[in-house]
Amino acid sequence: MAPLKSLEAQYGILDSNFQSFCASNGIFTVEDFLLHDLSVLAAFAEQEPTSERLKEGITQVLSIIDRQHQPWLNGLQLLEDAQQNKHVLSTGFKGIDKLLEGGLREGQLTELVGPSSSGKTQLCLRVAANVAIQHKGRVIFLDTGNSFSPRRIEHFVRQISGSVFNEKVMSNILCHSTFDIFSMFDVLHQLENSLKSQGHKGDCKARTLIVDSISSLITPILGGSGPQGHALMTSAGFLLKKLAHELNIAVLVTNHMVAGEGGNLKPALGESWKSIPHVRLLLSRDQGNKTCSISILKHPSLASGEVARFVIDD
Amino acid sequence: MEVCRLPLSATQRGKLISAGYTSLSSLSSASASDLARDLKISDGEALEILNVASRSSRSDNAEGSHAIINGGVPGIGKTQLGIQLAVNVQIPPHCGGLGGRAIYIDTEGSFMVERALQVAEACIEDMSEYSRFLRKDLQTFQVGLQSKDILENIYYFRVCSYTEQIALVNYLDKFITEHRDVKIVIIDSITFHFRQDFDDLALRTRVLSGMALKLMKVAKNFSLAVVLLNQVTTKHTEGSFQLGLALGDSWSHSCTNRVILYWNGNERCAYIDKSPSLRSASAPYSVTSRGIRNSTSNYKRVKMM
Repeated sequence: MAPLKSLEAQYGILDSNFQSFCASNGIFTVEDFLLHDLSVLAAFAEQEPTSERLKEGITQVLSIIDRQHQPWLNGLQLLEDAQQNKHVLSTGFKGIDKLLEGGLREGQLTELVGPSSSGKTQLCLRVAANVAIQHKGRVIFLDTGNSFSPRRIEHFVRQISGSVFNEKVMSNILCHSTFDIFSMFDVLHQLENSLKSQGHKGDCKARTLIVDSISSLITPILGGSGPQGHALMTSAGFLLKKLAHELNIAVLVTNHMVAGEGGNLKPALGESWKSIPHVRLLLSRDQGNKTCSISILKHPSLASGEVARFVIDD
Repeated sequence: MEVCRLPLSATQRGKLISAGYTSLSSLSSASASDLARDLKISDGEALEILNVASRSSRSDNAEGSHAIINGGVPGIGKTQLGIQLAVNVQIPPHCGGLGGRAIYIDTEGSFMVERALQVAEACIEDMSEYSRFLRKDLQTFQVGLQSKDILENIYYFRVCSYTEQIALVNYLDKFITEHRDVKIVIIDSITFHFRQDFDDLALRTRVLSGMALKLMKVAKNFSLAVVLLNQVTTKHTEGSFQLGLALGDSWSHSCTNRVILYWNGNERCAYIDKSPSLRSASAPYSVTSRGIRNSTSNYKRVKMM
């Protein structure tokens, strides 16, 4: 938040007299202002000779702060936003699209959970190729395990669009390697800034963000003596959901499984993570087979427990 | 990827860094005219620099940057495979190899120097024969490598506890920066020190997943292969025993590719269990006095699953 000094140029009322009054109360920035008890501040202002101007200054700072929060939306505006901005992106698999009644929805955080080698990365690569071709959108792929394979993407692109190799499509899939959670935050913030300032550019609009896999980044810091791991995990989840909503993109993350009670597998990242994604899908692969099953663990508008099957071709 | 690793002239690199373009991502968003203005160079030169940058970022480093985990029962030949890889990475480029050095991290003490020497000598003999076969018309071709050179190019680290292992993985980044020609890191075996006496299982998961991320980063940044050798263990599921990777599902998730070595009757086989771009397949192999070689049995072809 800005120090009060920097607001003087725009708002003449916040002059040096006002600033020294605030400084005498320990307020140097707008953030300090928020933390201070305003009735006490007003009482102090009363005792000053220039009390009227000071009280005007206080009101001015409060109105600047007011403008920082998102505007209130009513239900109708939310519906319009959902209909016009939050499109449904087909995954490229008819079975999965039918299961999810259309596909992945922009504005939502979807989690893919599955045991090792169940098809999570393959599904992510296929979705990336499909979004780039069918929806003509840009895909940002954050790879934590060096498993992004341009060769595989090319294979899927050829499969989807016939045999025409399209360099434009390939250049719309951007892959970035991250190996710790802090660099992921960096990348996401940079992305937020660059996408917000870019605006719409026709068919180069970013439509999907894939993080494969977010559990590899969170597992090394979760647990232990302090709560920082938990805090980082929840902040990461909230940041992803915020990006999904504000930039109108679909966010897809993958998670692995760990041993649970009775020898069954359960999703990693624990109880707190469960409530963060909007949609949770469970993936499994039949033994020695190419057929995978996907079922809904959690969805805001669909019943859980439905299963669909699909095949990832070679 | 950093700008200092691009194949540009030193002056161009200097100009880029002093203008603030230190990473490829900053270059990727710059246009040729911006670059020309910032660096005070001609448009043509700026375009050339951008081409070099985009070519390096698009080049498929996938081959060199995977972390591979080989799991197998004792006696299947994991260490033999490790030794063979440490030798093979040194095959010079004119014989079809990478001409690089190897780092061998031994946690169990199973590396046998005499065996490595044997494998190295066999490799040199094979290379001379191969080049003689190809260049029949030219004079005798010297491979230019001796078995003691091959041994010299293997950086061997012996690790006796998990703390040493963690310290070594942290040190790898600095070590490889100073020894840029390392092309493979072999860890045999990655989980040995974590299986016994590690009381706090949650801590173990955290440490191992952190180690996996560091190895991934090393693999990606230096474009080399990281090969982890692991043991299998038996799991009880519904009253029956099943073979699974040591250290469980969390660890299985941490690698890019997984190759399982197993016995098929009397024959040793390798099976691709997890890979982002290769299909599941198995191939037989045998351990001979000359190292790992193709199996001489009837099943000569790779079996697709």
